[in-house]
Amino acid sequence: MTGGSVFWFLSVGAFRRGLAILFLVGLAVFILGPLLSLVLWAFAGQWFYPALLPQEFSLKWWTVVFGNRGVMESIKYSLMTAPTVTALSIIICLPAAYAFARFEFPGRRLLLLSFLSANSFPKIGLYISIATLFYRMNLMTTFWGVVLIQLVGTLLFMIWIPTGTFRGINRSLEEAARDVGASGLRTFLQITLPIAMPGLLVATLFAFLAAFDEAQGTLIVGSPNFITMPVMMYTLVLNYPQPVGAVFSILLTLPSLVLLLLAQRLLRQGYLAAGYAL
Amino acid sequence: MKSFGREGAAGILLVLPPLLLLALLILYPAAEAVLGTLRVERAGHVIYSLDRYRDMLQTVSLRRSVGFTLMVTVISAGATFLLAYPLALYLRFTRGWVSSALMALFIVPLFIPVVIASFAMVTFLENHGYVETLLHYVGIEGLPPLMFNAVGIVLTEVWASIPFATLVLLAGLQAIDDSLIDSARDVGAGPLRTFVSVILPLNTVATIISLSFLFIGILGSFTIPYLVGGNAPQMMSVVMTNYFTNYLRPEISVALAAISFVIAALAGAAYVMGVARRETA
Repeated sequence: MTGGSVFWFLSVGAFRRGLAILFLVGLAVFILGPLLSLVLWAFAGQWFYPALLPQEFSLKWWTVVFGNRGVMESIKYSLMTAPTVTALSIIICLPAAYAFARFEFPGRRLLLLSFLSANSFPKIGLYISIATLFYRMNLMTTFWGVVLIQLVGTLLFMIWIPTGTFRGINRSLEEAARDVGASGLRTFLQITLPIAMPGLLVATLFAFLAAFDEAQGTLIVGSPNFITMPVMMYTLVLNYPQPVGAVFSILLTLPSLVLLLLAQRLLRQGYLAAGYAL
Repeated sequence: MKSFGREGAAGILLVLPPLLLLALLILYPAAEAVLGTLRVERAGHVIYSLDRYRDMLQTVSLRRSVGFTLMVTVISAGATFLLAYPLALYLRFTRGWVSSALMALFIVPLFIPVVIASFAMVTFLENHGYVETLLHYVGIEGLPPLMFNAVGIVLTEVWASIPFATLVLLAGLQAIDDSLIDSARDVGAGPLRTFVSVILPLNTVATIISLSFLFIGILGSFTIPYLVGGNAPQMMSVVMTNYFTNYLRPEISVALAAISFVIAALAGAAYVMGVARRETA
């Protein structure tokens, strides 16, 4: 190895390994610590400082949460908006992604880059600007207003990840299908679509989560009529005892965690990373 | 001139719907917000002036809020970047169980809604929260408050931004050819030298994108400062939302929104110019 450097110890294997493990432990405490503390609160009947664990475990706060009418309403609204946004996003964005990947047309690259602008504005400023527009269009506190504001956060994923996926498919496979007489549509449905499916699923998954977890824009545009689950969370955190917020947090995280587990294999194969390569 | 023909027409037709949406939901409202705050009616005539901004920035609380926002945003973005870069480097160049564990770990916040992350941080860092409990057992007492102030906001912003920053930097590092790094080693460059003169310059695009998106993301975040921040000074996003929904003074909140667009644009331009200068130097 190289001698003479002040950082000579960096090349000593054991030292580097120790440093890496220390980093891992530190990061684990920082990332998982708050989540563990939250889970404990959700099952705490009584918990006073300075006990490491609640003095009494209980499920009573779960009944409080499920007995709250606002909570049940918010679950209903979330289940109405997030799937609608995801479906709309698929219909609007996937054909465009295919065109970006496969067709030649003027300004293609520039138009693809223009979708970056969806994430180039400070979000809350953008939502406020959109809300003033929605006032004039009578979209404030309406279902479609909420759907549109949540759609904003899905555009970039739903264009960029599928474009990358379609582009990565070897054209010779499609050409071979065409050569043996398959129509364009049939080639797309039987060759292109199945190969692209994992990438499209990852994009859809992220669009759904973006819509489901969106709180800032929905608060501005939807409340007080359309309080979705994340917006309800503001109220619970600020106005209810700590365990109530903790219980609701677990309910709200469940969809993400289930989808994460289902998509583990796809994520490991790098479809997620592909969406971040620029 | 290349002819695009039927394929080109079909392509444009297919990309038109999301582009219209982009124009209607993002570009038009943003442009309208900036123009609207410049439009002032004087003696029956509509003229363009900066009067509204001047009035607004004369309000002490708003001026403090802009300064506080800039400070918190810069520190949060910088801290996230300094944490994510070594992490991405380690994941790119090291195999083994530590690397796999880090890989599984850093991605976790991506799947936790920000509302919940903020609340989890509150229970972790608040007065008599979990951190204070743990420190109590080690014999450390009387910590300065970690929650409902700038420290709480920064820690939570870093927590929530780690996955994005690491993914972008990692994607950039993965695009660097192994042979370039090997050849630097071959001519005798140590790890530090290899990093400074080979890896860092080759990863410029990812660096700029991660930094500018971190900055803009944090500047525009509302949930974290709302739930984790203190009462005064507040970040612009919280002030903006309050003026819009509680005080019913939308014109002030739109003006603040426009200021945040300008800050974001200036930050973006600064990065681009910085890079352009280094490329030509």
